[in-house]
Amino acid sequence: MGDLFNNESLEKNPNEDLCVVYLLYFDEKKGQIPLFIYPDDLLRNNRKYMRPIHYHPVWFLETEDLDHIDLEYKGYTFFGKKFLTKSERTKRRAGLEFKTPETIVLIVSLPIELEIFGDDLISKLTEQLRDKFEDQLFEVIESEIASDTIIKTPDTIGRITKGTKIKVLIRKLIDNVIKEYFSSIIKKKSGSPSIKTQRAISYFALKGFELSLPRSLKGKNRFSTIELFDPEKQKLSGKLPLSINKINLLEKSHEIEFTVQNNTEEELKNISITITHVQEFFEKEVMNQEVDVWFPQEELLFIVPKIPHIDDYLFSINERDVDGYHQKILNQKIDLKLLDKITNEI
Amino acid sequence: MLKEQINKKDIIIRNYRTSDYQATLEIWKNLNELMGVEFDEEQWRESSGLRQFKPNLKRITMIAELKSTGEVVSMGMIEAVKNTIGRYIGRLDNWATKKEFIGKGVGKLIAERSIQILQSWGCDSVRINLAYTADKKLLEVFGKLGFQPILTVLEKRF
Repeated sequence: MGDLFNNESLEKNPNEDLCVVYLLYFDEKKGQIPLFIYPDDLLRNNRKYMRPIHYHPVWFLETEDLDHIDLEYKGYTFFGKKFLTKSERTKRRAGLEFKTPETIVLIVSLPIELEIFGDDLISKLTEQLRDKFEDQLFEVIESEIASDTIIKTPDTIGRITKGTKIKVLIRKLIDNVIKEYFSSIIKKKSGSPSIKTQRAISYFALKGFELSLPRSLKGKNRFSTIELFDPEKQKLSGKLPLSINKINLLEKSHEIEFTVQNNTEEELKNISITITHVQEFFEKEVMNQEVDVWFPQEELLFIVPKIPHIDDYLFSINERDVDGYHQKILNQKIDLKLLDKITNEI
Repeated sequence: MLKEQINKKDIIIRNYRTSDYQATLEIWKNLNELMGVEFDEEQWRESSGLRQFKPNLKRITMIAELKSTGEVVSMGMIEAVKNTIGRYIGRLDNWATKKEFIGKGVGKLIAERSIQILQSWGCDSVRINLAYTADKKLLEVFGKLGFQPILTVLEKRF
């Protein structure tokens, strides 16, 4: 099946390296099974790629309870969405009828730097998939089941061929959506980009995507309106608005102490601090603290219990804007093995 | 004879900063020498007095500074702890005043401000731990601020 996606005649989408799209279904006999993976279906045999998919919380949710649910894992964010589609196939478990709908899961993984685009991209992909293939996905599932059978009758072969043809069309659709989506956001005008947007822009620049020259070098015929994050500007303005100044491991009380400073000359409001760790592929929260007011230059201390046998933590600071949306200000991975230990504490 | 009281307008009450570390350390050391107040220097670190957030606990160290000289003259910690039934209980703790300013009402000024803060955090009540052998006068001072004895705490040390 992997050969299908290695077709030399297919033009390589320059944006395909930016994300991986997993289309899966719930098999009544075997559990979650990938229908195909974009850009390379051979990834289904790669345990490294498939691990977070099997443990993604989207599997444990009721269908369409939430718009989508995300999992942060090793520098990537996995946006997962579950939905039901039409089915007309005989099920292999008692209690399920011929017309019992299929449970489809769509997962889009993006590097953490591009996570700002995840919500939008997964909505666009779901919308297009449902719009164009809602009535055909069960045929792809049938072909997937048929390809597993040992004896292939002409009827089975017919089903496999039909499913394969639909898969080619789905791949084409995903390819187009991704191409159009990333082209549009790269070209999009960004007046005063947020930190998240700047991070994404930096990522694009690092990966060699076409971006504009710094403002001072822009002529009339500039090829893009996007503005790069100017490192010189940042140097002038000093440090990041918030920074972790110190992390201590308190041996006696088995706690971790984070000293974080507001480096600005302004009061920061509606800030939330989240400290999480990954355990058995699930992100677990050890602290979720709201700070109503954070005074200029003030240092705050956040203390959380140290979880036995867990050394990697993720420290995030978010700001809630006027519309109630959270904007990430700081995201830092902490490895306790590299910290100083303190034996005396108050 | 009553000592000359410090006027509210001569004092700035603010949050602890790491730059207050030396001044607060000196206050504690002096109190230790003067009154034998239990104080372990190694435990009082530069970051110990910062505004602190822990699951179910918030803590602030209040500093009283002389407006005219910027001298740190008193400190006190306030914390709010969420109990098992979800109520926040406030506590005043680690109160210390520079020996020259003891009895001049600086501690009272910090306490008043602290109670306001604890109320704004949603605390139902505020508690102070006093030594079992505490001076009766001290009980009277706190009584004037509305604190009444309600508990006797027993402790076993290891």
